[in-house]
Amino acid sequence: MASSSLLISLASCLLFLAVSPALASNSEGEALCAFKSRLSDPNNVLQSWDQSLVNPCTWFHITCDSQNRVIRLDLGNSNITGTLGPELGRLQHLQYLELYRNSFMGKIPEELGNLKNLVSMDLYENQLEGEIPKSLSKLKSLRFMRLNNNKLTGSIPRELVTLSNLKVLDFSNNDLCGTIPVDGPFSTFPPESFENNKRLNGPELLGLASYDFGC
Amino acid sequence: MPSSPILFFLLFLCFFCTQLSCTKTEVQALLAWRSSLKDPGRLTQMWTSNNISTDPCQWDGIKCNEAGSIISLSISGCQIDGTLDKFNFSSFPNLTELWMDHNENLHGGIPKEIGTLHNLQYLHLSSNNLVGEIPVTISNLSNLEDLDLSFNQLTGAIPSAILNMSSLHYLYLGNNNLTGQIPKTIGNLINLEELHLSANYIKGAIPREIEHLTNLTLLSLYENELSGQIPLEIGNMTELRIADLRYNKLQGNIPATIAQLPNLSFLYLGNNQLNGTVTPYLGNNSYLEGIDLSNNNFVGTLPPLLCRRGELQYLQAANNSFILLPITLKNCSSLTELDLHENNIRADVSQTLGEHPNLSLIDLSKNRFYGRLPSNLGGNILSLSLEGNEISGDIPKELANSTSLAILNLSNNNFSSLPLIQAPALESLHASNNKFTGEFPLLQQNWTNLVTLDIGKNNFYGKIPSWIGSSFPVLKILRLGSNQFEGYIPPQLSMLNNLRLLDFSNNNLKGPIPHVLSHMHSMVIKTMTNESYITYFVSNTNEEESIDFMWKGVEATYQETIALLTGIDFSCNALSGEIPEDLMKLQGLISLNLSRNQLSGMIPNNIGNLTSLEVLDLSMNILSGTIPPSISHLTSLDTLSLSHNKLTGQIPSGPQLQTFNMSDFSDNVGLCGFPLPNNCLTHNNSIVPLVENEAGYKKIEVIWIICSVILGYVIGFWVYFGALYWKISLRFAIFQFTDKMQDKMMKWCGRYFH
Repeated sequence: MASSSLLISLASCLLFLAVSPALASNSEGEALCAFKSRLSDPNNVLQSWDQSLVNPCTWFHITCDSQNRVIRLDLGNSNITGTLGPELGRLQHLQYLELYRNSFMGKIPEELGNLKNLVSMDLYENQLEGEIPKSLSKLKSLRFMRLNNNKLTGSIPRELVTLSNLKVLDFSNNDLCGTIPVDGPFSTFPPESFENNKRLNGPELLGLASYDFGC
Repeated sequence: MPSSPILFFLLFLCFFCTQLSCTKTEVQALLAWRSSLKDPGRLTQMWTSNNISTDPCQWDGIKCNEAGSIISLSISGCQIDGTLDKFNFSSFPNLTELWMDHNENLHGGIPKEIGTLHNLQYLHLSSNNLVGEIPVTISNLSNLEDLDLSFNQLTGAIPSAILNMSSLHYLYLGNNNLTGQIPKTIGNLINLEELHLSANYIKGAIPREIEHLTNLTLLSLYENELSGQIPLEIGNMTELRIADLRYNKLQGNIPATIAQLPNLSFLYLGNNQLNGTVTPYLGNNSYLEGIDLSNNNFVGTLPPLLCRRGELQYLQAANNSFILLPITLKNCSSLTELDLHENNIRADVSQTLGEHPNLSLIDLSKNRFYGRLPSNLGGNILSLSLEGNEISGDIPKELANSTSLAILNLSNNNFSSLPLIQAPALESLHASNNKFTGEFPLLQQNWTNLVTLDIGKNNFYGKIPSWIGSSFPVLKILRLGSNQFEGYIPPQLSMLNNLRLLDFSNNNLKGPIPHVLSHMHSMVIKTMTNESYITYFVSNTNEEESIDFMWKGVEATYQETIALLTGIDFSCNALSGEIPEDLMKLQGLISLNLSRNQLSGMIPNNIGNLTSLEVLDLSMNILSGTIPPSISHLTSLDTLSLSHNKLTGQIPSGPQLQTFNMSDFSDNVGLCGFPLPNNCLTHNNSIVPLVENEAGYKKIEVIWIICSVILGYVIGFWVYFGALYWKISLRFAIFQFTDKMQDKMMKWCGRYFH
């Protein structure tokens, strides 16, 4: 009796797993359409984004892997205005997020921290504001993080020192404050990565109680 | 008793007076309502009089009875802007017809006072912008025969009182936002002839009480959210002629009782979740004209008696799991449209398509048909799709020369022989992935309608004809890939002003890429089209074009966005020469693949002009020189391959370029800089790659040193001994000298050791 019910639940779980990739692809399309709905797109670069399709892999500016999961989103320099919504965090296999040189406004959603496969986050040259989310420290695969030329405020989250794969970081031309971490990958970043942040106070002083004044 | 005639006279006078004042109040009500409208539209001129007395019976759209009271009001298509709120319905006690349809700015709700029009027989408020719920008071209209509220924005559930009005003959509530369920009181509509509830959001099951609708000829419930099973009571609806239940969530089997309906002509059940087998008696009792079973989960055989009475014109059973066809289909000469695509049907195609002189649309694609095509495929054929079956043999000449044929899809079969096609009305020809052989299959003529030509993945050979440029004025898609075409790419291709997708990949083409291809007008301009799909208007159906396309490493079917694809694929040929700079004028290009050729020279400097480019593959050529810096302008590029060439110098930097990997640039000996691991070294104002393996550099030096040393030895040896050999006097002089030295040495040694 118990074993048969166990068998049934196992079978339904397996069935769900079998179906879920299809569901996942569809949910990636839904996520991208939700993303699109927040945007104004005068150059019609998103004209090919048709939600009636079973997955977004035939949409332009999207690249998928062999299992129809989105790995690249390339919308740099596309004259797009709008905000970034939490749905971007649902693109679980995303490796390249290229949204540079547009007019994205509002905050960087903390859900971007869920993109555990992300290699490159290029949000530079927009009008993003608010703080850099601490959740970005979960992006263990991240190698390139360029958030320069925005209106970001607040301090640089200390948690980012755990991103051991980070090779290139650019936070310049923002309104960040506090001190710059020196641990982990931060020891390799040149000072140009942080320049033109008027309220940034320079490298943190180790051994002393760390405090971010005026921040 | 003497007062009774007086009383009678007074009553009569009173009645006459009230009739007069009735007319007066009617006029007042009309004018009061008209002045309440934001814009009276055409009513201003319709409701005017020439004489002093305002007699509405002379006005446009108004009919009166003999007593001068309004019985019919017609305010259709009058472009009025306003609401019904100030319409005094109770002022019109004699009204039998009210037509107030097709006024797109008539908004607001339907006032409940409408229930005071006791004599109303016809109420038409369709095609307006009315909102709110259907007032229950309408059920007070005990004489109402026609109720048409369709094409509005009405909400809420259908009041069960309304579906209790036994006076109703025609009930049209379609194309609104109605919710809720169909009330069980529907069984009381015993006089109902037509019921339209389509295009709403109605849920729940179809009530079994419909069996009482014995006068109903039209049942239209399509495009709702109806669930549950089709009640078997439907078999009692003896007058039912048209049943349209498409686009719902109906489940279970089609009740077998449906086969007993004597008047059923059209049965549309497509796009539901129905399953099981279809009763084999369907068609036995009535003159079926149209059947739609598509997009369900039906299995087994298609019922054999569908065409029994010889009236069946439309048979649509696509996207199910049918496996067999009845033999009777072959003799169904009344058929005009036959669509069985995406089933599991295993049948001999020559036994399926027989005497069908009127058949204009045939779609048997994605099944398991086999055998050979019959030669009598009918002279009226417009669209024939056999894609994805196991059909073999030739294409009959009658088909290849058909004057009506517009769409022909033979892809993914085992056809072996294609005669020269001369079908002048052809709009789309797909013949890819067969065993076709021979030269280019079309005859030279003016193919005024051909938009798509796909003959890839076959064994065609010979040259690509040069007349191709002038014969296809509207061609958008040209795919000749994976054949054995040889010779040069004809420069006349540049005359194809509508060409969007050009695929010559995987052939034996040689020679240069013609630079005049830069004139292909449709690729020069950036895609600015409203429709992203390509449709062919064949018969009454809008058939959409689709192709299977491998892009960014993923094979997919493109249909909805096919008109946006702009690309050139010349990969896997033997093309030589340089990539023409003129090609960079094709700013509409999204994909450019020239890989696996023998292209030489430099990548054009102005490659940055191709701003729409997402895919650039130039790998496996012999391109040399540096990568032009303008490549960093390609901000939409997400797939780049320049590997396996002879490129040198520093890889340019740029926002998209910094997202690419080593593998995209590998096997270019002189290339350096990110993302390759080797840095570039500035040397006398020219950047020269410093190879990380310094031993390699020294290796060259070492080799030179060894060579010069060996050379030195060889020269020295031959100079000395050569001189000795040839010059006797020199030999003598040297030997004498050596002897003298030897003597001196001996004397010196003797002196020392004695």
